[in-house]
Amino acid sequence: MLKELEAIHSDAISAIAEIADADGLETFRIAYLGRKGRITVVSAGMKDIPKEDKPAAGKALNQVRGAITTAISEKAEALQNEADSKASGNIDVTLPGQPTPRGSRHPISQILDQAVATLRRMGFSLASGPEIETEWHCFDALNTPPDHPARNESDTFYFQDGRLLRTHTSTVQIRSMESSPPPIRVIAPGAAFRRDEIDSTHLSNFNQLEGLYVDEGVSLADLKGTLEYLLRSIFGEKTPVRFRPHFFPFTEPSFEIDIMLEARGKKSKWIEIAGCGMVDPDVFSAVNKARGDSAYDADQVSGFAFGLGLERLAMILWGIADIRLLIENDIRFLRQFP
Amino acid sequence: MKVAIDWLSDHVDLSGYSEEELDDLLTFAGIEVEGIKAIPENVVVATIQSSEKHPDADKLSVCMVDDGTKTPRQIVCGAKNYQVGDNVPLALPGASLGTGFTIKKGKLRGIESNGMLCSAKELGGEEDSGLWILPPDCNPGTPLLKIFSPVFDLEITPNRPDCLSHLGIARELAVLAGRDLKSNPDHSNASIPEQSATGEDIRISATEECRFYTARRIHGIKVTESPAWLKTKLESIGLRPINNIVDITNYVLMEMGQPLHAFDADKITGGIHVRKAEDKETMIALDGLDYELTPEDLVIADDTGPVAIAGIMGGEATGVTGETTEILLESAYFSPAGIRRSGRRLGISSDSSYRFERGADPAQATGASELATNLITELAGGQAENHIVTCGALPSLNQEVELNAENCRKLLGCSVTNAEMFTILEQLGLRRLEEKGSISQWQIPSYRRDLTRPADLYEEVARVYGLDNIPSRQRSWFSEISSADRTHDFMSDIANRLSSIGFHETRTIKLTSTARNADNVCTADHEPIALKNPLNDELTHMRSGLVGALMEIAERNIHQGIENLRLFEMGTIFSNNHKGEETQHLGLLVSGPGQGSWKNPQPESADLFTLKGIIEAVTGANTTFLRSEDSTRGASFITDITLGKLCIGKIAEISPARTRELDARHPVYAAEIDLDILQKKTSAKKQYEDLPKFPSVSRDIAMEVDLSLTSGEIDFVLSRIKSPILESFRLFDLFHDESGKRLDAGKKSIAYSLTYRDRTRTLESSEVDSAHAEILSELKAKLPVDFR
Repeated sequence: MLKELEAIHSDAISAIAEIADADGLETFRIAYLGRKGRITVVSAGMKDIPKEDKPAAGKALNQVRGAITTAISEKAEALQNEADSKASGNIDVTLPGQPTPRGSRHPISQILDQAVATLRRMGFSLASGPEIETEWHCFDALNTPPDHPARNESDTFYFQDGRLLRTHTSTVQIRSMESSPPPIRVIAPGAAFRRDEIDSTHLSNFNQLEGLYVDEGVSLADLKGTLEYLLRSIFGEKTPVRFRPHFFPFTEPSFEIDIMLEARGKKSKWIEIAGCGMVDPDVFSAVNKARGDSAYDADQVSGFAFGLGLERLAMILWGIADIRLLIENDIRFLRQFP
Repeated sequence: MKVAIDWLSDHVDLSGYSEEELDDLLTFAGIEVEGIKAIPENVVVATIQSSEKHPDADKLSVCMVDDGTKTPRQIVCGAKNYQVGDNVPLALPGASLGTGFTIKKGKLRGIESNGMLCSAKELGGEEDSGLWILPPDCNPGTPLLKIFSPVFDLEITPNRPDCLSHLGIARELAVLAGRDLKSNPDHSNASIPEQSATGEDIRISATEECRFYTARRIHGIKVTESPAWLKTKLESIGLRPINNIVDITNYVLMEMGQPLHAFDADKITGGIHVRKAEDKETMIALDGLDYELTPEDLVIADDTGPVAIAGIMGGEATGVTGETTEILLESAYFSPAGIRRSGRRLGISSDSSYRFERGADPAQATGASELATNLITELAGGQAENHIVTCGALPSLNQEVELNAENCRKLLGCSVTNAEMFTILEQLGLRRLEEKGSISQWQIPSYRRDLTRPADLYEEVARVYGLDNIPSRQRSWFSEISSADRTHDFMSDIANRLSSIGFHETRTIKLTSTARNADNVCTADHEPIALKNPLNDELTHMRSGLVGALMEIAERNIHQGIENLRLFEMGTIFSNNHKGEETQHLGLLVSGPGQGSWKNPQPESADLFTLKGIIEAVTGANTTFLRSEDSTRGASFITDITLGKLCIGKIAEISPARTRELDARHPVYAAEIDLDILQKKTSAKKQYEDLPKFPSVSRDIAMEVDLSLTSGEIDFVLSRIKSPILESFRLFDLFHDESGKRLDAGKKSIAYSLTYRDRTRTLESSEVDSAHAEILSELKAKLPVDFR
């Protein structure tokens, strides 16, 4: 019997080495450990073994059975590993990936979000106002003379009831001051309208970002610091920024802001990017009159205001030559701003 | 406005400044330099010695010119407006005209040409009527750069009419450069005796529009060409010389900013009357056009009628001609508002009206007249009357403004000293009257009538002191979140969600036409608002929805071969009959298959359920959809999107006819959602819910129902079942066989999976069975269903 077990053991070891697949291994398992397997047969013969030999025979039987069982599980793992490595071995990793739908935010929205995020870091809140406005909010309150050309029907869209489409987001300055006393720190992104034919540099409806900060002791130094920070966060930390005296009816002093733009292969040049200035005392007076108080007393508070054209910002930032691309929404264009 | 550097140099020493440095000085004074024009190098004066017809070309001539060297130069030329002996500009080989165009020696129709004779336009000027005939006293060979100075093209902001002259710009440059103006250029100190009008000679009845009028009579003049120096000065800034009298008035205008007008005195009948025009009165102006006037217009009239539209343009009949021997020289002060109104109504903008409507310096009217009179008697001979007749009174020129140095420092945010401020204001021509602590009073010069308030003085200080010298301050503050902040974040969140699942955000303009508004099928009940003064037929109304624009974009992209459309836009829509006139909307459009791949070459085309899934991702799971009774042209059918009990929007299947018009090969679905309502409905606070500790059990129901029974009806019954252990249900299969082979064609098989759970214990199989059985009988009782 011991001899028999030894033979089974050695047969099994040599047979298992030959096995090439899981089916072969199963056949092997049945041949040795199955109901009629060689080990099972020997095990059944145990009852005929003399009592004194039983412990030794049982021990031997268990050893051989254990060895075969271990060999089978080792072989099974080896076969699985072989199959696993085979399975991934032939994958062509250069095949295209499964496309995940990829959309885009419009470039104007992207630049707007960036500007809003930057200004919020500085403590500005958002404000809004209607796009269909009164002439008072759009012009009178902003110190625009009664016969100023901007009020002409040739320059501004009007409605039958005498209201108009706001020509700038500066109307929100007035709306904000009407509804809250100082201090006030708001930004207002939004649409503005001018009666211009649409061409490569003009839209009759475009987007602006307005800013207003009124408090005690607000100075040109604050204006400069705020706008330099904003423009550098959009165009890069080292972007040169300059303030050029200019004229707007609603700020005094007024400035236009230029940034130095470096285009590939071209001489760098100053590009006008925004208008700004210290709120004109006449604007405060108009607001006080509408409020019926003197919350905006020019002797007590001062403020700065600024306005940026978002289309212009986007065109400069991404080198977009024709403004119409920003309203045509050609998907081949939009896809470039993932 | 164009200013010549040489001309400026008459008034201020600009030596040592390059053109770029002058550009910077002006720019930082608030005067925008739009361009600098200079005559190209290698262009010289040439005298035409002979001109013969080209043997092989009718339109060309062969000229021999004297270019200052000993050897005559042969040039082929196409112009006809010259005579032998004229001086003209010659671009020598190597001269570079404009961008990249360099003159070379060459042959024209077989004849050698060693350069090019130029028109003013070819050298950066404006005149384009043949060769530029130069003054006769130029020496051949002289570079044109030496004769015609470089010119700045400046944009003057409307608050600075004082800068609309060479003297004004020189005054500004003197301050910025810290140099003095040259010998008293202040022509406003006229020394000529004034004589008040008698009423016979001049009278003003429109005293509001014309405060002050002067006339000077000059006898025995001779109208001729102007001398070279005058012609050159005018030509350098792009003005065409006409005759000595007109050139002198133009010169004084450009020199001092005071518009003048010379009448042929012999053609004036009776006295001058400054009055409002009578209705329908007409006058032919110097531009040859016949203008019909109204009482809004101010005219200069004689006994027969208008002889000039005041401050805007003279009349043709009384203009100076070659035969004129006696002139009446007008110099006046007209109020800006009237000139502006009239100029706009008549559609005339002249150099004169441009200055009056911005505000000329009233104090210089007599001085300018005197300067012109002196030039006329010098250049045209004749004898001026020894006095100037004046009518009316100058507006008060005594303007005082207070400067609070402390406030100025506060506004600028820097430590500019009182002395620095005073120096700046004094250089600008202001006079300090008194000073007490940090407050001082200042007398404003007559040419700076824009300075009326302390803030105006702070601006002058800031401008000249320079923003470069003001430190940048960075401060930050706490700010309250506003409702606009919340709306912005709400909309950004939706936009980011949509763009991350393959949608492209579009932005369009908010003006549209009724035709395009007709495509707004999801907002058909919104009445669009019309503009009173549309620019064209395309942009006549405010948009009343977003789908119209999305359809247009879809069409444009389809024509570019892009069929896979996933588009959205957010923004204001406008409507007359809506609760709010301006509402924030979200518009969506889907069409075509998603992007295919090698694993899935033919993905399904988008349908209603694609769009429903997208909308649910935006509006949340509680959204319900119901086929609407509405029918709208352009849509096959409309589906209402409802949240709670509120309709928040609509989905439309675009009609096959309209789809074909768009050239779309796949069905097009569009939706529009009112974001104002959605934001209100979704801003409720969220609360965490404990995760279930006990397992769930699921049971399926398969039903055979009539085709007409909707899943919504089944959902409705299921959602109202009051079983404490029914957690959720979900439709998971739908089958219909058109052919009727596997299922009656009038029927469909619909399958739901129901999930049961008790949150406090593990359910027994038997209680699930009985609950499920109850649900089945409830369904059976309420709906015509058969279980399979």
